[in-house]
Order: sequence, then structure tokens, then C-alpha cells
Amino acid sequence: MIEIYGVTKIYPGGQVALKDINLRISKGEFVFIVGPSGAGKSTLIKLLFREELPTRGQIFFGGKNITRFRPREIPYLRRRIGIVFQDFRLLPEKTVYENVSFAMEVVEASGRDIRKRVPHVLERVGLAHKAKARPSELSGGEQQRVALARALVNNPDILVADEPTGNLDPDTSWDIMGLLDDINKRGTTVVVASHARELVDSMKKRVLQLEQGSLVRDEERGVYSNEI
Amino acid sequence: MRFSTIKYFFKESFTSLVRNRWMSLASIGAVASALIILGSFLLLSVNFDHILKDVESQVEITAYLEDSLDQDGISRLDKDLAVITGIKEIKFISKEVAIEEFKEQVGRELLEGIDNPLPNSFRIKVNDPHEVASIAEKIEKFSGIDEVKYGKGVVEKLFNIIHWVRVIGLIIMAVFAAVSIFIISNTIRLTVFARRREINIMKYIGATDWFVRWPFLIEGMVLGLIGSSLAIGVLAAAYNYLYITVKLNLPMISLLPKEYFYDYALGFLGIGMLIGAFGSSFSIKRFLNV
Repeated sequence: MIEIYGVTKIYPGGQVALKDINLRISKGEFVFIVGPSGAGKSTLIKLLFREELPTRGQIFFGGKNITRFRPREIPYLRRRIGIVFQDFRLLPEKTVYENVSFAMEVVEASGRDIRKRVPHVLERVGLAHKAKARPSELSGGEQQRVALARALVNNPDILVADEPTGNLDPDTSWDIMGLLDDINKRGTTVVVASHARELVDSMKKRVLQLEQGSLVRDEERGVYSNEI
Repeated sequence: MRFSTIKYFFKESFTSLVRNRWMSLASIGAVASALIILGSFLLLSVNFDHILKDVESQVEITAYLEDSLDQDGISRLDKDLAVITGIKEIKFISKEVAIEEFKEQVGRELLEGIDNPLPNSFRIKVNDPHEVASIAEKIEKFSGIDEVKYGKGVVEKLFNIIHWVRVIGLIIMAVFAAVSIFIISNTIRLTVFARRREINIMKYIGATDWFVRWPFLIEGMVLGLIGSSLAIGVLAAAYNYLYITVKLNLPMISLLPKEYFYDYALGFLGIGMLIGAFGSSFSIKRFLNV
């Protein structure tokens, strides 16, 4: 699904965010990217949906070299990737339903598909009863569920989450992780950058550890840190 | 493009217009005031032009004939002159007519009993006032012509003034057009800025640049359209008032009739829409780079 070959990212100004990263993520996997702040987790995520271009190296998505994509091809790449952020990024003046249907309008889905699909995903994240609420009336966990519904509504091949539980309390974080696991079990590839040690440890998923831009560990059924 | 997408574009632009109503009003105000200023200058300049054309068209050549020329010679000369290109009209003024006109001007009693000293003459109108000098020169060469007068010096000076008035008017108009675009793109930049979060999210979801752009373009065009309609309304009322006032008080100045104004109105709507679209696409460019 994703192949990364010799990727280095140096930001203008000389800050080296990633150093010679090589890795492969297969279809249906659940992968954690861990490491301290500034290790390059966010940069790696941004490279996946072409918010950033690598300074060196190639990235393949579904067999296509996305580092060679022209700007007008990028939207079609992003339609295959569901993206979730730490700060939810919901539109405050739209209702829960509208925040999700918005994602389908953007990809020019038909009105009939939208009316069919949106209630379905809201059901899946357990928010069908809050469809008419505004984000400000929801708890943090509920807001992140809306963001998840929005990321899922267009049936992406892969779901990418950058610190999805960073703003949430532990209990809610567990809920969100459970939901991500559920999404993964239904066939969507999931990539999560996370700080949350306990969560990562208990999930027993593949763990990629970054330190100062280098990939120092890639372990199946890993934990956050192996220095025991 | 799907119909539901087009519907979405219009829905988005109108909700945004209403949601940011103060910003929208500010944009409309900016478009309207810029176009009112632009329009005032435009009206001023077309009217000035109109008055100048009036003055220009009054420029004529007077060719005085030699006294020895008889009736046959006069009609032959008339035919010969008519061959010169650029002449619109030749009118023969006999010395009797000339003295009558002169008497009208200075007073009949004063000239009573005096022998008519005035010669026969042709009054010649030309097609292009700028050719007056060269045509006068040609006429002078015909035999039977005693002297040619056309206000030498004065005509050249007048044309010089007219030329500069037009140049300066055009410069002022260009400056105001640029200023309007600047104001509008700045105001729309504020609306775009207020919605940068939304644009950002749209881009992450996989919206194409044009999908993001359309609602803002429509919004800009609607703002421009409303602003220019407002400007047209204000200008039409003001011009109507001016036209009537001038006609009553300064009948010698002929302003363009107000029907003439309607030709400009449509162009103004177009300009307003263009300015709005231009301004918004200008402002949105920076935010599309995600």
C-alpha cells in the first residue's frame, strides 16, 4: 500500500526532520508511529498526503510514485486517504451532519449518496443521535468521532491520524483507539502517530519508532518503548 | 460538473455572504464607492469630450475671394474646392450677406451709408478639425482666393489643450480602476482569511482548487454586482439632477443626454463583476497552497 524509499526531509532553514527512512506498510495493517516531539512523526504523516515533499527519496502509494504527482493530481490522492488531526478541525458553524456531508460534497458525490452514506458513518462512530448538534455542543471525544466519521465517509483506502488522542482524556482516548481498531478490522489500513505510551503498549500493533528523524525500531506487536 | 455541486457553490457563497454580513457590506461599500468615483470621472470625461467635440466642430475656414472674380469664376472655384478631400461643406457668403451679418453684430445705424467694404467669401467646414491647417493651406493656392483665415494659432492651441485634457483624464481613470481593484481584493482577502480554516480542511479532504475557488468567485461577483448596481443607482440619480440643473441654468453647455448613461450601466455591471472575481481569485491564491 505504502512504500517509502530513502526519504530525507530537510525544511528550509536546515532543520533535518527525517533521515533516510525506508519502510513498507501493507494493506490492512495497523501501524503506530511513536517518538518524542520533534522526532519527525508529523513530517512523516504530512509526506503521506503530500502536504510536504521529501527532499530526497521516493514515496509510493498504491504503486504510484506520489513524489512525482503534479499539483492537480494531489486532490485525488487525498480522496483515498482519510485524515484525522489532534485538533479535530471541524467547522464550528456547521452541524455534525453537515461537517460529515461536507466531505462528500467536496468530492462531488451525488445528493442521494450523501443522504444514504452520512447517517451510516455517524451510526458507526456512535453519533447518530447528535447529527443536528454543533461541534461546540460536543465533548472532545465526540468531536474527534465526528472527525473520524468525516475521514471515513468517502471510504478511504487508508486512515491517517496525527496524535488523534492528544487533546483527549484517557478514557475518551481508549474509546477513540477502540474505534480506530474497529475501523482497521473492517479492512481500512490505519496509521497513527501517537505520544500515548499506555495506549500503544496495550494495542499490541506494529510500532515504528522515530528518534531525531531516524527510524530506530520497526516491531510487530510492539510497545511504545523497549528499554525495559 | 454535477448540478448538486453547482447548487452547493451557490448555497455556500450565499451563506457566506450572509454569515459575514458586515464584511460583505464593507466589500459592497468599497465596490460602490470605487465605482462611483470611477463613474464620476468617466461621466466628467465623456461630457468634457462631448463639449470639446462641439467646440471642435465649430472650427471653420473662411476663404475671402478677390473682388475681381465674377459669378462664373465663383461657381468654378466652388467646384474646384469641392475636390479637396476632407471638406464637408462649402457655403458661399456674398458680400451683401456678409455686411448684413456684420450690421447685425455691430449695430445697423453705425454702418448706414457706408460703401460695402467686405469681400465675397466661402465658409468651409471640414470633416476632421485637425486637418484645418493643411486644408487651409491648399485652399490658399487657388487663384481667385485673396486670403484664408481659420484662427491660426488659436486652433492649434485649442487642440493641444484638448489632447492633454484627454491624456490626464485617462491617467486618472486608470489610477482609480487600479485603486478599486486593490480595495476590493483587500476586502475579499478578509473574507477569505476568515474562512482559511475551511479552505484548509477542504484541501485535506481532497477538494480540487477549482472546487475551493468557485464559491469565492461567485461571492466576489455577487459583491461586485451589488456594489456596481448601487453605484449605477447613485450615479444615475446624480447625473439626472445635474443634467436638469445644467439645462435650466447653463443652456449653452450641452451635456450628453441621460439615455447615453444606460450604455455605460451594463458595462459597469460587467466591470463590477470582473473586479469582484478578480479580487477574490487574487486573495484566495495564497490559501490554496496546502
